[in-house]
Amino acid sequence: MTLATPYLWVFFPILMAVLSGIFHKRELLSILLASLSSFALALLAAFFPEDLTLEIGPLVLEFNETMTILGRQLSVVYEIFPFIALIYGMTGLWALSSGFPNTPVTFRPISLVITALFTAAMGVEPFLYAALLIQTAVLASIPILSQPGKLSDKGVLRFLTLETLAMPLILLAGWLLSGVETLPTESPLIPQISVVLGLGFAIWLCVFPFHSWVPMVSRHSAPNVFAYLMFIAPTTILVFSLNFIDRYAFLRSLPNLEQTLRFFGTWMIVFGGLWAAFQDNLKRVFGFLVLLETGVSLLAISSFQNGGLNWMMMLIPARALGFWLVGFALTALENRNGELDLDAIKGVARRYPFLSSGVLIGLLSIAGLPLLASFPIKSILLSTTFAASTMLGTWSFIGNIGLFLSTLRILAAMITPDEEHLSEKWKIMEKPLEYVPILILTVILIILGLFPHVFLEWITATLTTFTQLQ
Amino acid sequence: MQSFSLAAFIVIVITAMVILIFRDWRINAIALAIQYLAAFVLVNLSWPITIAIIKLIVGWMATTAIGLTCLRQMSTEQTTESTSSLFFRGLSGVLMILIIFVLAPELQEKVFPSLDLLIVQGGLMLFGMALMQLGTNSEPYLVIISLLSLLSGFEIIQAGLERSTLLTGLLAIVNLGLALVGVYFITKNAEYEPEATTDEESPQ
Repeated sequence: MTLATPYLWVFFPILMAVLSGIFHKRELLSILLASLSSFALALLAAFFPEDLTLEIGPLVLEFNETMTILGRQLSVVYEIFPFIALIYGMTGLWALSSGFPNTPVTFRPISLVITALFTAAMGVEPFLYAALLIQTAVLASIPILSQPGKLSDKGVLRFLTLETLAMPLILLAGWLLSGVETLPTESPLIPQISVVLGLGFAIWLCVFPFHSWVPMVSRHSAPNVFAYLMFIAPTTILVFSLNFIDRYAFLRSLPNLEQTLRFFGTWMIVFGGLWAAFQDNLKRVFGFLVLLETGVSLLAISSFQNGGLNWMMMLIPARALGFWLVGFALTALENRNGELDLDAIKGVARRYPFLSSGVLIGLLSIAGLPLLASFPIKSILLSTTFAASTMLGTWSFIGNIGLFLSTLRILAAMITPDEEHLSEKWKIMEKPLEYVPILILTVILIILGLFPHVFLEWITATLTTFTQLQ
Repeated sequence: MQSFSLAAFIVIVITAMVILIFRDWRINAIALAIQYLAAFVLVNLSWPITIAIIKLIVGWMATTAIGLTCLRQMSTEQTTESTSSLFFRGLSGVLMILIIFVLAPELQEKVFPSLDLLIVQGGLMLFGMALMQLGTNSEPYLVIISLLSLLSGFEIIQAGLERSTLLTGLLAIVNLGLALVGVYFITKNAEYEPEATTDEESPQ
């Protein structure tokens, strides 16, 4: 029996999403359907045989990497399986922890659909059609960002507007690029393509000045929903963007490509880090953290000729787990405490020490604190940037310091009791379902930080699909 | 055929101006429906009628979904606006029309040499007016109508550049998805009962 891999990683999750949606009122069943199917797909991608043949007893299933839809091809190739395993594994983890009252019930089915659409976007041919699949994923994300019972906030509308603007730009760039695998350096097409493509990706990745919706959306949406979206969307778009550098030699050899990417990367780190330091709301800090991380990824891509893509890929699992931890702890804390302003969280560490630690450890791990997951990669990345440009390296360092300062402000607020609770003693008010995941994740983040090459390097196998970037 | 296309282009300019100037959902829904008809005529210059009509059907479906939701959810009272705001939006629309007329020939010559100038002008007109609209309001149903107009403008140009069934299908999904998002926003806002004051915040 012969099947195509897209059936497994694109159509099957959509079917499971429909089932999970049908049973959305039976919370446990809905969670199990979404998370178990995601974990199963992640495990399958991680351990799929290279000859694409599955033998289950007498049943032999042979898989093709490609299927044809309406004259175009949809592929999920073996080389990209490590990345597929990661995104489905993380989707499962987010679905598993989606039982909080402040998380929309539609989050589980919609997150599965979004992951399936992003998987399809990675493998559609011509690959520029991915823009339409990404736009569909954006549309699907609206109900989980803008929840019923709340007034439509401007951030979500701005998000929708900007993402919709990016789609025509990428499709137009695709048309300009069609049939021109190579171009002479003096071709007038090169500046046209560079501007259209650059603008499209800048909007998609919320690069300044297209960032304004990020903190607005983070402020008003459930933190775990925001964490999921801000992991899956920029990460997949960044990996998708490598297609362009891989396929078009003239883009790889653009004279100022590395400097431009490095400049914007540094700018995003400084902007995200310094603004995070002055925020008075934890959810908005998370928003600026996302901007900072986009900057780190751009910085890594800017060194693509010196192994930067490996660092970008190795940062993805570390960032995913960090985002999950911050999202989980903030959602639980919001559920317990209500508001997440610095004034409102005074002394919460005395009542919810594990949730508070979860927020802080997650933030510090993403910021690159020694011993935690992102540190080994970020230290190499900052050193490389420093070697390439002392000024940009210094600014990147300052931006990261901003995030540390923000974390210190949050720590100070969490451990300082307000006047009403001055005599309150330290106690544990969390349930095991709240603190056990935080403890497990903390241990995992430390292990990743201690042995990055053992536990993070596997994902770099994804880069073998980009043959020109080896 | 040329005069028919010219008439379609003029209709596009008028409907885009109407959507930009007026805030009444009834006027905007009718203008959007007529705009889709004119866009269909321009798409038909590049595609056979059997495929081009998909754009019209999808556009009308999107307009109907938004129109019916507005009819159910929004106040039937006439909204009065000051003459100065109408005048300002009209003036900004005229400015955009002038910009498009100046830019379109050069853009057609340098970027889209294979396309008819009328197609480039029609597509850019919708795109530009929608951008202007997006910049001047944040009312959910107007944002969605502007985004539908913007996509319609893009589709007029895209139709001349590439013919693909999958692309047409995916764009239809995106258009209908946008309309559904519009319906979601309109319904949600109509059912919203304020518990606390919402803060107007700056992004930074």
